Amino acid sequence: MNPLRTLLGGLWRIFLGMGLTLKTFFRPKVTIRYPYERRPVSPRYRGMFYLKWNEEKQRLNCVGCTLCAQACPTDVISMNKVGKGTTAGVDEFVMDLGRCMFCNLCVEACPFDAIYMGDRYEFAVTEKEGSVLRIVDLAQGGPENARRNVETLMRLQAEAAEKGKPGESPKPQARPAEEGA
Amino acid sequence: MSLEPRTDPNPPTAEPETPAKGPAIDAQALHQEILDLGTQGMVMNMGPQHPSTHGVLRLILTLDGEEVMACEPMIGYLHRGLEKMAERRPYRHFLPFTDRLDYVCSLANNLACAQAIERLAGVEVPERAQWLRVALMELNRIASHLLFLGTFGTDLGATTMLLYAFREREEALALLEAITGARLTYNWIRVGGLPDDMPENWDKGVLAFCDLLESRLPEYDRLLTDNPIFRRRTEGVGVVSPEDAKAYGLTGPTLRASGVAYDIRRWAPYEKYAEIDFDVVVLRDGDTFARYLARRLELEQSVRILRQVFDKLPEGPIASKVGKVLKPPPGIAFSQVESPRGELSFTMVSDGSPNPVRVHIRAPSFANLTVLADLVAGNKVADVVAILGSIDIVLGEVDR
Amino acid sequence: MIAQALENPWIRQLVNAAMLLAVINLGVLVLIYLERKVAGYIQSRLGPVHVGPRGWLQSVADAVKLVLKEDIIPAPADRFMFVLAPFFVFVPVLAVFLVLPFSSGWVAYDFSLAALYVIAAGTVAIMGIVMAGWGTNNKYSLLGGLRSAAQLISYEVPVVLAILAVVFFAQSMSLVEIAEAQRGFRWFIFQPPLLVAAFVYMIGQLAETNRTPFDLPEAESELVSGFHTEYSGIRFAMFFLAEFANTFFASALAVVLFFGGWDGLPGLTGALWLVLKSYVLVFVLMWIRWTLPRVRVDQLLGFAWKVLVPIGLIVVLWAAASVVYARGVAR
Repeated sequence: MNPLRTLLGGLWRIFLGMGLTLKTFFRPKVTIRYPYERRPVSPRYRGMFYLKWNEEKQRLNCVGCTLCAQACPTDVISMNKVGKGTTAGVDEFVMDLGRCMFCNLCVEACPFDAIYMGDRYEFAVTEKEGSVLRIVDLAQGGPENARRNVETLMRLQAEAAEKGKPGESPKPQARPAEEGA
Repeated sequence: MSLEPRTDPNPPTAEPETPAKGPAIDAQALHQEILDLGTQGMVMNMGPQHPSTHGVLRLILTLDGEEVMACEPMIGYLHRGLEKMAERRPYRHFLPFTDRLDYVCSLANNLACAQAIERLAGVEVPERAQWLRVALMELNRIASHLLFLGTFGTDLGATTMLLYAFREREEALALLEAITGARLTYNWIRVGGLPDDMPENWDKGVLAFCDLLESRLPEYDRLLTDNPIFRRRTEGVGVVSPEDAKAYGLTGPTLRASGVAYDIRRWAPYEKYAEIDFDVVVLRDGDTFARYLARRLELEQSVRILRQVFDKLPEGPIASKVGKVLKPPPGIAFSQVESPRGELSFTMVSDGSPNPVRVHIRAPSFANLTVLADLVAGNKVADVVAILGSIDIVLGEVDR
Repeated sequence: MIAQALENPWIRQLVNAAMLLAVINLGVLVLIYLERKVAGYIQSRLGPVHVGPRGWLQSVADAVKLVLKEDIIPAPADRFMFVLAPFFVFVPVLAVFLVLPFSSGWVAYDFSLAALYVIAAGTVAIMGIVMAGWGTNNKYSLLGGLRSAAQLISYEVPVVLAILAVVFFAQSMSLVEIAEAQRGFRWFIFQPPLLVAAFVYMIGQLAETNRTPFDLPEAESELVSGFHTEYSGIRFAMFFLAEFANTFFASALAVVLFFGGWDGLPGLTGALWLVLKSYVLVFVLMWIRWTLPRVRVDQLLGFAWKVLVPIGLIVVLWAAASVVYARGVAR
């Protein structure tokens, strides 16, 4: 009787397995119909980079300290710093995303709240050069803000040069050189 | 557990090694015998590109009809020179690279590397960070074992298992994304702790996931474990005796399925494992089914560990302060973690400069793979796939 | 002029054949869509939803894609075998549809030896598979082809035995008469020996149509695609269509043999009942496919010869005894 027992026992367990698949047949489906529906990402999601725009100061927070470039394991970031001290900034910020690992080390290294990883994850390009992003692509608010950033920096540089002390923000105190200058 | 850098007091002397006792079939001799007979076995490539080799692994099989006479694995298709890259970068810069070793459970690699650096540099990790590291490791272990269940079922023809396992894995990945920001290559362990604390209600999310997983485990059993066809495909196939397992240097569930109770979390506890109550899953048969069952039961143990972590999680800092430039004193440090595949260990040598002199990564999949060639001889082609699946390798860490 | 042409018996038969072909292929397209939807639903996902309303036109899109593909014949392949193999697989499947009765008057050719013809014609497909495996000059395909030959030949025997049991009860080999004998809900499935015969038949047909758990010849995770790895475009489409047409035929034949054929409640026409019942069986086949893992080749052959054939022989004896007993009682 033993072979018959194993055969029937096996058939029974197969039926149990099939019962499970039939049950799942009627359960709700988990498909997310991309691109018509999208899965929400968490607030900490490490997607496309952006340089934070400071509305109050009308400039990007980035001062060009290159800490992010030094923290990057694969040499993704390069920048062009203009000015000195706290009025310094960048007029060009290049990220070669072909090398990027999206490891978050640059974001963690920045002490000026300047670079962040956002929630955009769809950035396929058709040419290799398309994966090299510049400040016009990275500035939060688009190329307009990149331009305004440069304007603000130029203005700050001019004001600092006037005082003859580079790197100092204009202080609200009367000085003889200010009148009629 | 000492965090001081260790210099080896007993350097190895040049001693002749006694060869380990291998299995009964000598592949070389068999191959020669076939050629001597004048009949040629059919040489077939289970090539680097194959649906079932779990990565770019090339198996050169010599077949006699459906039976495998000899098997020669060839690796190196995914070699990226990670150990050399480590020598060219400061210690901290290497951590994101370790994600890509065993990409299915990145946090285990991160942890092993960070532990080695911490031991070299003498950095202490705060309590809260240690507990959270345990939680992250176990969550990753669950994700990895779910992937194993899915791919193993698919190798044997039960494609549905893949979808069910990935449905649960999606939840685990969403939790990991909530805390780290990424779904596969997390890079969420730093020298001295973690980069950031867990978000609000993350612990509730993890506990809800534990409940969900426990409700689904009986379903996996109904579909796969109790299925008579599955049992007949895997029971008695590819048996590894405990002595052979130790001789080949197997670790992880592959070893524990052969009856050897070796788990780094018990043997050399790291982080907070010494204070957690869990069972080490050991099975006696040593066949493919035992290797599958070991991982399936480890899922339950991981859930148990996760629940205890959130009971005991203390408040406190999430990382200790480490200087901007990390220049550990000269020495060698060694760290071991129990990754889902086995014993993953890092050896780092420092000479006081910002870059390490040498990093050696002992990958569990690499050692586990060595048993494959002798195990498949005499079995059928279909068994090759089953055995390879049950050893559960990831080519990223085999090739580095 | 058309009416005049139709008077010619040859042209009439040609038109019949063309209509049958169209119906079969349409049915196969529906079946392919059904397979993917059923697979999706079992696996907690949606299946095709994009092409057409609820994905109904997916099969059409697939067919168009396959037709538009480049015809690749591998350079070292044996051209003659390679090109001929799909026809050897596709044509027998169409040929057996000729004797399948859809309703009392609706059969292309009422053959008195239909049951035997079905088995014989179906066997030709084995040759096609072996030719495909050999002709592509690829070791994976060769393995697939050889596995397939062993499997198909072995599982013919239980299928034949099951059909034999039914023939005993119906006292005829004509499929029309077999279905007629079950009229009025006196389906053969309710007879104990034929219940077991039905199981044997279904398991045998699972193997004959290369479906999991017996899909070794095209074991996707081991042999990429088995004997039809190297085929693309229309040639692959022929294999694909042949497999699904075979599945439908196996189910339809099961309905005719065991479930009363076109017998049903008076609401719908007989043909519709046959198709409905066939689709229920097809659903069961798909359900099995997406639940069970694959058996190994030695286990496959062992199961056929050591389990199914003995059971089949017992069933044949049992059926014969039942018929004789029933006749004796009737006297």
